[in-house]
Amino acid sequence: MSFYADSKYPVREDVAELHAEQFNRLGAPGTWGTAAQRIAIVNEARKAGYEAGVVEKPDNAGAEPDVPLPEVVKRVVHRMALAPKDMNQDFYNDAISDGLADVEYVEILGLLARFTCFDVFARGIGVPLRPMPEPQSGEPSQERPAEAVQEKAWVPTIPAGPDGGEFGLALFGPWQPYIMRGISLVPDEYRQHHALEEVQYMPSKNFMEFDYQHHEGLSRPQAEIVASRVSVLNECFY
Amino acid sequence: MLGHDLDLKAVVDRDVDIKYPGGAELLAFSDAVLGSDVAQLDRARDALANALSPAAVAGASIIAASFTKNDRVANGTGIPAEPRMIEGAADIREMLGLWNFRSAVNTARHLPEGTR
Repeated sequence: MSFYADSKYPVREDVAELHAEQFNRLGAPGTWGTAAQRIAIVNEARKAGYEAGVVEKPDNAGAEPDVPLPEVVKRVVHRMALAPKDMNQDFYNDAISDGLADVEYVEILGLLARFTCFDVFARGIGVPLRPMPEPQSGEPSQERPAEAVQEKAWVPTIPAGPDGGEFGLALFGPWQPYIMRGISLVPDEYRQHHALEEVQYMPSKNFMEFDYQHHEGLSRPQAEIVASRVSVLNECFY
Repeated sequence: MLGHDLDLKAVVDRDVDIKYPGGAELLAFSDAVLGSDVAQLDRARDALANALSPAAVAGASIIAASFTKNDRVANGTGIPAEPRMIEGAADIREMLGLWNFRSAVNTARHLPEGTR
């Protein structure tokens, strides 16, 4: 059964399958957080959203592991969830000064960006937020890519092209823009974001075809109207 | 754009008519799906389905979702826009006032002094 079988609006099957897969994967340990920690982080963001009125609490919210989150994590989660336009370099530097590792910051950002995406989508099509999976046991892999360096972002990134080494070339292919490489300090987050972009926005091979239509009932210009307005609301210059 | 004129200023100023089929409904839906008024979202969803199609609601929802994801990644990592992106749309960024966004500093700090 489709992940969005309860939607009265037709959802692309590749979108539904990928969202289901990424919800399931949240039940497993990540790169720097355990499954229970990662689910607790998404739940903390949702809780902030319920209080702000930007998402509605579902009857079945799924697993709610009792994992205490450090104050710095709560602070970062709330800003990322509710005020994306207010994330600046001081916010990042303060998080690092207060004990969050750069890899942890990037994993939390990537995770919350994806699950905010899923929740906005559910809200858009008028279905309840999907429930959190039960957390599995196990330890995070803690694999930091040696190729990641300080480029032009606040966070270390893996360079595109030859500077990223064989690992970077295998991960990115010949080139990826910063919007994809921004979270490459946690390669698994990069992979999951990249997979989403390929089905949610459009396959990257079609990007320069301005008459390419990826979504039924929505032309490319109409898709760009939505994309532009959302990015204005979030004050995203990129 | 592809045979239709549209007024891009409508993306930053909701009082401006975008002059594109379904454009007003798409803008209203974008505002509502990120907003806190459930009744407004319900109205915007219905209006979009009527103006374009039910499929357009799913399409607009996934685009809104995807870009609110990307906006968080961009603003939260401090990445700059690539030079090719700046060069290709410099006039649009100026017209829309995007340099006033707080996140613009992440690009501006990497530009040679006096280039904008």
